[in-house]
Amino acid sequence: MDDFQSGEETAFVVDEVTNIIKEAVEGSIGGNAYQHNKVNQWTSSVVEQCLNQLTKLSKPFKYIVTCVIMQKNGAGLHTASSCYWDNQTDGSCTVRWENKTMYCIVSVFGLAI
Amino acid sequence: MADRKAELERKKARLEQMRRERKEKELSKTRNVGDDSKTSVKSSGSDASGAEPDDILREFGISPAPEGSPATPKKAAAQSQAVKEVEVPTSVSHTTPRKVRLSVAKVNETSIPPRENVSYSKETQTIIADPVDKDDDDNDLDFIENLEGSSSHAHQFRGHGHSHGHGHTHKMPHVEMVAPATTSEEQNKEHKKPVPELSEEEKKQILMSEGFQKFFDHSSRIVERALAEEVDIFADYSGKDSGGKDDEAMAGERLKVNRDFYDDKWSKHRIITSLDWSAQHPELLLSSYGSNEDATNVPDGVALIWNIKYKKDTPEYVFHCQSPVMSSCFAKFHPNLVLGGTYSGQIVLWDNRVNKRTPVQRTPLSASAHTHPVYCITVVGTQNAHNLISVSNDGKLCSWSLDMLSQPQDSMELQHKQSKSVAATCSSFLSGDANNFIVGSEECLVYSASRHGSKAGINEAYDAHQGPITAIDTHRVPGQIDFSPYFLSSSFDWTVKLWSIKEQKYLCSFEDNSDYVSDVQWSPTNPALFSSVDIMGRLDLWHLNHETEVPTASVVVDTNVALNKLRWHQTGHHIGVGDDMGRIYIYDVAENIANPKADEWSKFVRTLQEMKQQATEREEDSTLLGSAAPIR
Repeated sequence: MDDFQSGEETAFVVDEVTNIIKEAVEGSIGGNAYQHNKVNQWTSSVVEQCLNQLTKLSKPFKYIVTCVIMQKNGAGLHTASSCYWDNQTDGSCTVRWENKTMYCIVSVFGLAI
Repeated sequence: MADRKAELERKKARLEQMRRERKEKELSKTRNVGDDSKTSVKSSGSDASGAEPDDILREFGISPAPEGSPATPKKAAAQSQAVKEVEVPTSVSHTTPRKVRLSVAKVNETSIPPRENVSYSKETQTIIADPVDKDDDDNDLDFIENLEGSSSHAHQFRGHGHSHGHGHTHKMPHVEMVAPATTSEEQNKEHKKPVPELSEEEKKQILMSEGFQKFFDHSSRIVERALAEEVDIFADYSGKDSGGKDDEAMAGERLKVNRDFYDDKWSKHRIITSLDWSAQHPELLLSSYGSNEDATNVPDGVALIWNIKYKKDTPEYVFHCQSPVMSSCFAKFHPNLVLGGTYSGQIVLWDNRVNKRTPVQRTPLSASAHTHPVYCITVVGTQNAHNLISVSNDGKLCSWSLDMLSQPQDSMELQHKQSKSVAATCSSFLSGDANNFIVGSEECLVYSASRHGSKAGINEAYDAHQGPITAIDTHRVPGQIDFSPYFLSSSFDWTVKLWSIKEQKYLCSFEDNSDYVSDVQWSPTNPALFSSVDIMGRLDLWHLNHETEVPTASVVVDTNVALNKLRWHQTGHHIGVGDDMGRIYIYDVAENIANPKADEWSKFVRTLQEMKQQATEREEDSTLLGSAAPIR
C-alpha cells in the first residue's frame, strides 16, 4: 500500500517496514529471557538485521534504526520522537515487542533521498 | 538542522553534478554509438543487487568530490551498474528535482507503564506490661490494701513509700522488669529516700489545706460505710474463690441466723406444723401451729402470717380455728386466701380481706370429705384451672375448687395392693405436673401415684426406709437440664434418701443425722442443694456437687429444741425453720453456696451418675450377701 505518491515506489511503506522489524526481533531474541550478558548481542543483531532487510528493499531511502531492550522490572519507560521532514515521502515506524522478561522497542526512520 | 542544511547543500551539489555527468554522458553516448546498454532508465530502480546500494551509499557517504564524479561515469561505462548509477541520478534528474517540502512530523511516543506494586502492611504490637513494683508485704495485708485502694492516700499513713496499682490483687503473679540486683532493704531505702521528713508546721498546714479536708471528708465517709456494711465486700465474681469450697473459717458464715419469729400469745408452746412462703409477696411467711396444751381457752389451731421485710416482731395476720392445723399453704393464685388442713379432717379457708380471724369457708366434716387429719394440702394447676388437692391420713385424696368447699370435686382412695390404704403423712407433686405426685406414708413406704388417667391411684412403691416418712420433696429447679424425676424423702430412721421415680432402689442415702429427720426440701434455685432438719435442733445444708457424705453446712439452733419444719424462700437465700416451741428462725444462706454456678447442672448430672453406679454396686453386694428384710 502506498500512502504516498502513487505509482512511485519511493515512499515509506509503514506496514512493510513493520513486518521487517518484527521478523528481525523475533529472529534475534525470539523466546529468550533477559540476560544481561547477551543483551549487547541482541540489540546489535536486531539493528543489523533490520537494516539489511531495509536496504534490500532498494528504496531511495536513508534509514535510521534504533533498538532499546529493557528488562521487565516494574520500572516505567517513556520515549518520544519527532521529525522535521517531508511528510509525503518520509516516514517512521516504531514496533514495541515484549515477552515475559523484557521489552524491545525498535524504531526505524526512513528519509527519502 | 545544520546537518540537514548541509545535506541539502550536498544534495543540490550532487544534483548539479549529476546534470553535468548526464551532459557528459550524452556527449559520451554520441561518441560511443555502439553502447547498447539499455537506457532503460526506469527499470534500474527495481533491480536490486547487493553491491548497488552499497555503491550508492558509499557514493553518498563520500563527500561528493569532483574527482569521484568523473570516476563514476567511467565505471558506468564499464559496467551496467554504472548505467544504473548514472541512471539513478538520471532517473532522479528525469523526475524534476523534487521540491522538498519539510514539516514537523507527528511525535512518536512509546510508553511502558511502571508496574504497580501493591503492598499491604499490618502491624501488631504486644501490650507493654507495666513494671510491677516488688511486693514486700505479706499477702495477708493485701486485703486491707485492697480495701483502702480507693482512698489511695490512706496507706501513706501506714508509712509506706510506694503505692500499689489498682489491679494489683494478692493473686496476681509478681512480674518485674529486669532490674539490677538489689536486696529488699535496699529497695525500701531507695523508695523511702525521696520522701522528706515534714516538720510539724508543714504537717499542720497540709491538714488544714482545703484539698486535704475535702479528701478526708469524702473518703472517711466511704470507709465508714464499708465498715458499717455487713455485706461481703470481698465478693469475687470471677469465681476464683474455689467455687464455694472455701476454707473452714468461712464455714460459719454459710448459715446465719437472720431473725426469729415468736409471738407470746399465739405461738407459745405450740408446735409448728407447716411453713409456706407467699408467691405474690415474697416477704410473707405463713406458719401453722398445733394446739397449745398448756392453755385452755385459746383456739386449738392457729395460723400466723409473718413479714420479714420489716423489723416488727408481731405477725401481720392472725388466723385461728377450732382444730389444730396440721398443714397450711397460701392459695397460689389467690393472694388473699390462706388454706389450712386440720386434725379433724376439715379444710379451712381464711381470707385476709375480711376482718375476721376465723375461717370464711370450711369443708364439711362428712364421709364425702376427710375424716382423718389432713397432712398434705397443695394447690396445683394454672391460674385459670387450679385445684386444691388434699390427702388425709386414711389415704383419701380429694380435689376441691376454691370457690366451693362444700363438697369435693373429686375424691379417690389411695390404695396399695388391693385395699391396703396408704396412711399418708406427706405428699409432693412433680414439678410442673398436676397429675403425678409422690406420697410418703407411715408404713415406711413412698408411693408414686397419679390423679387421673389409666394409672389413677398408686403406681409404684419405694421401699427402703425403716421408719415413717416425715417429708417428701420433688426437684423443682428450672434449668437447662431437668431433674424432675428425682425426689428426697426423710424419715424417722435418721436418714434422708435420694430417689428417682424411675428406679425402685434409692440412689443415695444421707446418714449423717443421729435422730429423727423431720423435714427435707430442695433449694428452689440451686439444683444440687437441699436442706434438712432433725429433732436434735440441727439444720443441715447438703450441697451434692461438693459432698455427698456429710452436709456442707450444719448449724444447731441454740436452744436445743426439736426442729419440725423447714421451708426455703423462693430466692434460695433464706430458710425458715420452725421448732416445737412455737419459734420460727430465719436463716440466711451464704450466696456462694445458695447461688448455682453455671456448671452446677452438668456437675449434678455427673454426681447423679456416680450415685447410680454406687447404687448398682450396692445392689450387687446386697444380692451377694443376701439382704435382710427391713424391720417394721
